[in-house]
Amino acid sequence: MSELRKRGLVTTVICSDPFIKLGTTQAKVFGTPDLPLVKIPHPLGGLSLEQVEGRSLVAIPQVVKLIQEHMK
Amino acid sequence: MSDLAELLKAKDASIDADDDFDAINRLYMERGWGDGLPIVPPTTERVEQMLAYCDRPWNEPIAKIAPRYGEATPLRLAANAVMAGCAPNYFPLYMLAIEAMCEEPLNLYGVQATTHLCAPLVIVNGPVVQELGINSGHNAFGPGTRSNATIGRAIRLALVNIGGAIPILGDMSTFGAPSKYSYFVAENEAANPWEPLHVERGFPKEASTVTVIGAECPHNINDHESISGEGILTTIAGTMGLAGSNDVYYTSQPLVVMGPEHAKTVANDGYSKADAKRFLQEHANLPMGKFSKENIARRLRIRFKDKFGTAGMDALVPQVQNADDIIIAVIGGAGKHSAYIPTFGETRAVTRALKRSDGQLAKSVEEFRQR
Repeated sequence: MSELRKRGLVTTVICSDPFIKLGTTQAKVFGTPDLPLVKIPHPLGGLSLEQVEGRSLVAIPQVVKLIQEHMK
Repeated sequence: MSDLAELLKAKDASIDADDDFDAINRLYMERGWGDGLPIVPPTTERVEQMLAYCDRPWNEPIAKIAPRYGEATPLRLAANAVMAGCAPNYFPLYMLAIEAMCEEPLNLYGVQATTHLCAPLVIVNGPVVQELGINSGHNAFGPGTRSNATIGRAIRLALVNIGGAIPILGDMSTFGAPSKYSYFVAENEAANPWEPLHVERGFPKEASTVTVIGAECPHNINDHESISGEGILTTIAGTMGLAGSNDVYYTSQPLVVMGPEHAKTVANDGYSKADAKRFLQEHANLPMGKFSKENIARRLRIRFKDKFGTAGMDALVPQVQNADDIIIAVIGGAGKHSAYIPTFGETRAVTRALKRSDGQLAKSVEEFRQR
């Protein structure tokens, strides 16, 4: 993802809450400290399909916002 | 040989402090440098003693340690080896272990950062075992031997201090594991009725090697009653059948640690190591009905669609996909026990030999000593 970010594409990594610090640290390691992270509630495993849809409803507006900001 | 005083002039290469055990330990704890246990202060003199056993440039990385991909230079590794309490002549083997675990197939990034509780396990073979007094017998996985304890600890310190495997920031293990303090043993070659692990993996018997596995902690296998090879292997296979193991879902290489007495019984019944692996692969399985409905529907039927896409609840799900992938090592002392060590799953074992800078196999760690 960091490589894509460096090429100027709209890029994000979706993280559940406890993984935000890991995501932030790794973004710095790979040279893209400004890599946006899309935050969703934990957990991601062990969910029903309805709950997965719920997670996507949290993620989608954040992704749309990133795309809109990129288009400006 | 490099000039240590010159190297330490580089930015952030060293800190000024009094050689005071309590003060330095307070400083290290405050900065989160370590494993939580007190460290031996890595003074210039102690680090230089460690580097006396290094035949490579002290500031050139020998590997990059994930997830931070920090550069593992001999200088940094030497500081961590001192902190862990290593003797200087352990240093060549310690560097080899770090190099081996940074090889691509091991997937150190996954092993370090995962929520799983794995840690890199190092198994040593060859003449260096006797030279450094590495325990391969009673309590080999436990306390009591300096080389096992401190080389294993030095590895963990490098994984944290250089690799950034810091809880929450780079190590997301749900539980962690006691093996994350130290996980370093030798194979008991004298009690091994088959070829040693490193010979099986393509190295000459006279080579000293490390084999690194992204492993869980050992789980004991008690069998005091079986007097046949088939009996011992049946008990081991029965213990390997796990519904909650990562290995079920990958082409993985779990480790079967045979106690010398179990190994002798199996070998005396005519089983080669390859025969034993075949038996274990065929018998280490669970009926699909032992898995949860959700795991069947969302993993087994999808990941193994050809085999289990429509299979019934009595279909046997293997713990290991290929017999050759089961790693057998003979470790331990007297007693009717073996141990099973599942893995992270998405990892392959790496074996590397101790070589001098000219590429020749080292017969002794003394060949690395700079005079």
